[in-house]
Amino acid sequence: MKVTGVKVTSYACPPGGRAAAGMHANRGCVVELLTDSGLTGIAIGADGAHAQIERLVGELLVGADPRATSGLWQQMTDAQAARQNEGFASTTIAMLDGALWDLKAKANDEPLWKTLGGSRPRANAHGGGIAPTATDYELADRCRMLSRDYGLRGAKLVIGGDEDRDLARLEAMRTALRQGTAVPTLIVDAEQRWAPEEAIRRLRAMERQFDVAWVEGATRSGDIPGLKQISDAIRGAVCIGRDLGTRGEFLPHFDQRSADVIQLDIGAVGITGALELADAAYGFELPVTLAEAPGNIHAHLASVMPYFMSMEVGYPATRWPVFTSDVRIEAGWAIAGDAPGNGLTVDREALKRAATRGGS
Amino acid sequence: MKITGYRVEQYLMKMDRLVGDANLPSGVEMLPGSILYLETDENVTGISLGYGGGIEALFGAIEGADPREVVALWIRMNDWLHKAGNEGAASASLSAIDVALWDIKAKLADEPLWRTLGAREGRVRAYASGLDYCLSDEELFAFYRRMAEQGIDTGKLKVGLDLAADLRRLGIMREALSIASQRPGLMIDANEYWSPKQAVRYVRQLEEHFELIWVEEPARRWDYHGLRLVSQQVKAAVASGENLHNLAQVYPLIANRAVDVINVWTGQSGVTGLRQIAHMAHVHGLPVSMMNAQANYMAHIAAALPNHNMMEVVDPGREHCLKWNNHVEDGFIVLGDAPGFGIEVDEARLKQLQANPPTGRGKFPFPRREGAGRYIVPPAPGEVPWR
Repeated sequence: MKVTGVKVTSYACPPGGRAAAGMHANRGCVVELLTDSGLTGIAIGADGAHAQIERLVGELLVGADPRATSGLWQQMTDAQAARQNEGFASTTIAMLDGALWDLKAKANDEPLWKTLGGSRPRANAHGGGIAPTATDYELADRCRMLSRDYGLRGAKLVIGGDEDRDLARLEAMRTALRQGTAVPTLIVDAEQRWAPEEAIRRLRAMERQFDVAWVEGATRSGDIPGLKQISDAIRGAVCIGRDLGTRGEFLPHFDQRSADVIQLDIGAVGITGALELADAAYGFELPVTLAEAPGNIHAHLASVMPYFMSMEVGYPATRWPVFTSDVRIEAGWAIAGDAPGNGLTVDREALKRAATRGGS
Repeated sequence: MKITGYRVEQYLMKMDRLVGDANLPSGVEMLPGSILYLETDENVTGISLGYGGGIEALFGAIEGADPREVVALWIRMNDWLHKAGNEGAASASLSAIDVALWDIKAKLADEPLWRTLGAREGRVRAYASGLDYCLSDEELFAFYRRMAEQGIDTGKLKVGLDLAADLRRLGIMREALSIASQRPGLMIDANEYWSPKQAVRYVRQLEEHFELIWVEEPARRWDYHGLRLVSQQVKAAVASGENLHNLAQVYPLIANRAVDVINVWTGQSGVTGLRQIAHMAHVHGLPVSMMNAQANYMAHIAAALPNHNMMEVVDPGREHCLKWNNHVEDGFIVLGDAPGFGIEVDEARLKQLQANPPTGRGKFPFPRREGAGRYIVPPAPGEVPWR
């Protein structure tokens, strides 16, 4: 089996709609890696890297056997090392790696989780970040639906603005989640707004009223001593990783113990990179959480990560604008299906309507 | 697709020659062998080489499971060992089962394991390792020359007991390898015979005459202070890890920057376990090196590791009842396309070996030498008794 080419389609959805989760809520990019066997490898990710994707496929992947996921990952990252300053390098490689894994699983006619060596995945899940733009009513409503529709017993709130408003919203989130569990798991994301001292003051004040499982974006992700200082000062865990793209960026956090929870996102580090980093985190006894991903396909990876803890799902968790996913969310768990590959299927009609660049 | 049963065949081999290191320079020629056959309901059998018994204690963790779910099964087996720990015989069993599961996974995909693991090609750079403390100078030269004729330009010599002899032997190894390269790569292995400061004194003296790529096991396997001290005080890199059996045991070496190269092999909790070690090493920018293996089967795993430098190749003859699908060419182990590890067992030959066990001198593995790391006055020949 050989890669023959790639089709890249950018899409944008009308305001109010919802596209790929994560970095670009209403915009995204569909990568379809074509082969001589008729199988197509699919990856959905952030938009903006058309040229890089097409060039990398042309230079390295055309003619290669897509089952060589590890070797091709190595080739792509080596090529990236020479182009450090070009934007989108990490996301480009991450998406192509995802498409290669999809092909590898499809070549075996088995779901991705099985190709990875996983057992039927039943990934513990929590609700995704509730944006500060959501009104208090929307926030409570969203949490009730996460609980009612999916049985989720934990959720993440974006904080960092007005202190009293943060506390009131956290209270609203806890109250809403209590319809499904006596002890909701509360996660907060301060989006790197705070300096370490401010983070410590705000989080300690929060912890007088709430048991917070972990905090993302407690301070800038490059501030290793600052994050360590925060971790030492609060009860909850400090979580980093979502905006890191290379193992070199994760290394100081492992080494200096500046994080207690490692968050991985295949949209940033690829599947190959995520598996590698999860093993390294295991070596450091650090639990791994998986970020919100298009189609919730992180569910495929959970059962091969020795210290997997929980994965994030958005709302609505199973409706996507230009593709479908066979991952379902039930009773607080994300469960990947049995369709070959990563379970993502492109909705041709919808993609045609939403396409802004590329496609055919 | 289900795992239905297993059997273990044990046998004894007489190698073609003696093998020895600083702990037993006179060497042994007998080697126990063990083959685990993991059976499924689809007429595919996974094979795992070179381990002892003890499978029954863990088989319950995988019985009836789909062997393709090998990583999740590794986690389950590791969880089963929660109280006792992934150590000793239990660890060897976990390793053996994991290897056989990967063999099945690749066979079911009808592809060589290197492809299942994601390698671009089934090709691994090799270095020669003589296991050679028991060889005469002529035999030493002949071994490395034979390897050099296959394109291998790097060798690893057993050292540690006699500085003058080791200097002479390093010269012989370099000379023998010189037909493969103008600058043969030279490595040494002390098999934990030294204390850290002994290692520094010894290696520094060798380095007055030879440039060494790495010194292997210059101190005890867990001694991260000692290993780091050696690494800082000699020019050569320090390699270690072959006698540790899981990621948790290797962790202090990596986290404390104690070693520069990590020796990996399937005895470190299987393919899955050694891959965890390699991944953690990779994140730290450390290379790994695969240990020697019967029929070089571990080259499949090495081919897919992003940070693998070179694999140890030996030739004492341990493949008495095996058929395999790889060869050494131009200094590389070249793997074939046979499914799984590409290993087949010659059952008739195995039965013969079991019915008529060969006899010979000594038996692997041998114990640590009396006084290793302690007797700062080197014992004269014969002063330290051996059996």
